[in-house]
Amino acid sequence: MTLFTKPDCRLCDQLKSKFDLKGMKVDIEVLDTGDAGALAHLAWHGLVEVARKTLPILVLDDSSTVEDFTDIESLLMSRADQCGLKYNDSTGAAILCETGTCAIN
Amino acid sequence: MGVVMPLQEAKKKESFKQVTRDDSTDLALFVRTSEEDIVGWKRQRIVDALLRETFIDRDTAERISIDVEKTVQTSNLKTVTGPLIRELVNARLLELGLEEARRMHTRLGVPLYDVDHLLVQHNKENANVPHGPEATNLTLAEGIKKEYALLHVFTTDVADAHLNGDLHLHDLGFIDRPYCSGQSLEYVKKFGLNLPNSLAMAKPAKHADVLLAHMVKFAAALQSHFAGAIGWDAVNLFYAPYLEEMSDRDVKQLAQMLIYEFSQQAVARGGQAIFSDINVYWEVPKHFVDVPAIGPGGEYTGKTYGEYEKEAQRFAWALFEVYKEGDGAGRPFFFPKPLVHITEKFFKTEGHMDFLNHICEVASVKGNTYFVFDRGDTAKISECCRLSFKLEASDLEDAKEPWRMRYSALQNVTINLPRLAYKAEGDDTKLFTLLTEQIKLAAKGHEQKKKFIEKLMALGKGGPLAMLAMDLDGNSYLRLERCSYLMGMVGLNELVKVHTGEELHDSEASLKFGLKVIAHMNIVCNKMAEQMGMKFVLEQTPAESTAYRFAKLDMAHHPEETAKVIQGNMESGEIYYTNSTLFNVGAEMSPIARVEKEGLLHPLIEAGSITHVWLGESSPDKEALADFVIKTFRHTNNDQIAFSPEFTCCLDCGKTGRGITDTCQYCGSEKIDGITRITGYFTKISSWNKGKLGELHDRYRNEERFVRK
Repeated sequence: MTLFTKPDCRLCDQLKSKFDLKGMKVDIEVLDTGDAGALAHLAWHGLVEVARKTLPILVLDDSSTVEDFTDIESLLMSRADQCGLKYNDSTGAAILCETGTCAIN
Repeated sequence: MGVVMPLQEAKKKESFKQVTRDDSTDLALFVRTSEEDIVGWKRQRIVDALLRETFIDRDTAERISIDVEKTVQTSNLKTVTGPLIRELVNARLLELGLEEARRMHTRLGVPLYDVDHLLVQHNKENANVPHGPEATNLTLAEGIKKEYALLHVFTTDVADAHLNGDLHLHDLGFIDRPYCSGQSLEYVKKFGLNLPNSLAMAKPAKHADVLLAHMVKFAAALQSHFAGAIGWDAVNLFYAPYLEEMSDRDVKQLAQMLIYEFSQQAVARGGQAIFSDINVYWEVPKHFVDVPAIGPGGEYTGKTYGEYEKEAQRFAWALFEVYKEGDGAGRPFFFPKPLVHITEKFFKTEGHMDFLNHICEVASVKGNTYFVFDRGDTAKISECCRLSFKLEASDLEDAKEPWRMRYSALQNVTINLPRLAYKAEGDDTKLFTLLTEQIKLAAKGHEQKKKFIEKLMALGKGGPLAMLAMDLDGNSYLRLERCSYLMGMVGLNELVKVHTGEELHDSEASLKFGLKVIAHMNIVCNKMAEQMGMKFVLEQTPAESTAYRFAKLDMAHHPEETAKVIQGNMESGEIYYTNSTLFNVGAEMSPIARVEKEGLLHPLIEAGSITHVWLGESSPDKEALADFVIKTFRHTNNDQIAFSPEFTCCLDCGKTGRGITDTCQYCGSEKIDGITRITGYFTKISSWNKGKLGELHDRYRNEERFVRK
């Protein structure tokens, strides 16, 4: 499972602070930092245009993708439950990016 | 306080004074000057030229002129020409170590031997240039401007990088113009044909056929001011207000005139047809729906373009009927290239399947149709071989007054990717560092061209780019601040093969590495854009001659490494690198796999990409192609596709047959020529360069992949 994120992305940060992603064995790819590997990985999944509109994006182990924030959140909650890990429910409840920063340039 | 002069130097000075006093004893020689005159020898002319053209001091100039005069005197020359004197002066400058002065004083020109050959032999650098006196003029002028550009516009590091094949500065022979232009017919509709250097001004057209005449002449004028393609946005839609009273027959006639006018423009620059593109929409694009329509006489019709959908569709349909018929000999039209935008709205617009089948039939029968995929909210103007200008928020604001929609790429610089891999010797860090350096150098080249064009534009309406400086809508026609700067690439496939041992299509790992290379280019371009305030964007270079040029240069400079990865036939010299980010053209892949996998790279290449599906002699069912197009739109990231059939036309009986054959299928004549797509356009195979011929032999035709008719 891979979560595509970027710095200064409010929704990405919300997931990072809510879940123990490392403990859940969710790989994090950080875009917009000059990391060609991360951008190439995004392109491999055919998600560049999607990421230009919205982040975060979750890619599941079967390569299917989840772009809706609420769906990502609930999938990660299930994953956390499967891994026996708790998650932080007090990190805010934003499901929309109001600043336009939750997308790559 | 006086200065004591060393004895030797004092003697030299004295001797110099004596010689200069002999000025009146000018040789009894006559010089054939560059101004077509024969004048008496005047040594002072050498001095004047050196002082005017270089930064050397007067004494040195005098001294050089005396030396040259002596050489002329002692050589017993029968004829002295201006160029010869200049050569002698330049040789003396070099002897004195004054290399910069020599560079400034150099004479641009072409060797007699080359001109002799050029006048009779076909120049195949651009298959779109025919052979004839106008073409020779173009080639000669290009040759001199190319030299000028490399000496005077670009710094030595940039020029040398071009000359040694690290990168390629495209269209150097057109250094004094931007690269290509995309615009709206609305400009001509609103302002008429009102060109700065024209002898007559025409008011906005009142009839469709007059509008067509204006459009064609405007395109020809633009061709004189841009190096490359001239693209037109939403042509069928913008004609629509003129078509209301016209019968279907008349609309078809207009479509026929439009296509013939553009395809027969072999009387324009250098005898070269205008590389023209027309963007066609079945639906009314969202950004034009509420825009007030301009009709006959440049007047608003009182309707919006949203209300002209049916007229626009009628014209689009008629255009493709003409394409399907082909020219008078049944051959495909080479220009204007029709680019049909496939969008979400396309699929929601009534009649779209009929139209899709119609344009797919044209794709199968003649190959003309280009399918441009605008997914989601994307909107763009496409042109050239694959270039597209994505419309940003400011552009969509301009769409309210569509005549403002004018886009240009100022220059195209292509990077020789395989060479970087040779130098990197398998080291990732070295490879990406070298790639970054090349992009920076290319950016520097772009900045230098930008400054040069800015200088010409600053001369305004009295300058050479008066047409681009015209400001009928309050802004100059060329909106320099909105220009983009193209970063191209050649040979990603060979870079990956050198670096990983596999070609792009061989494995997931090799394709992923290719993606990383292009991702790196994308990132560096964005950083450079931010730093330099210029819009650098990646484009798949058409590389009609660049793929051949790089391959030849690398065979000369890196023969061992190049021989391992070069494509084509080394014995016949038909060698090439794979274009841009394309997969090996000979790879036996299903067309959908090629479209899907090549398409993974496309979103990283923001200024346009294409995948070619080579059909060979097969003529697939229109429904099969339509299904293919829909799948490509729905299930891939591919930016644009084109299906390329092949033809043989007979120079004796004039008939055109399917496939490339050695003899005419109708009369058996051996006087034949092939026709197919060279890179982003159709042309006659006899005009192709050796590299492209090599590629043609290697192309894997998907003849078994589609259901035959």
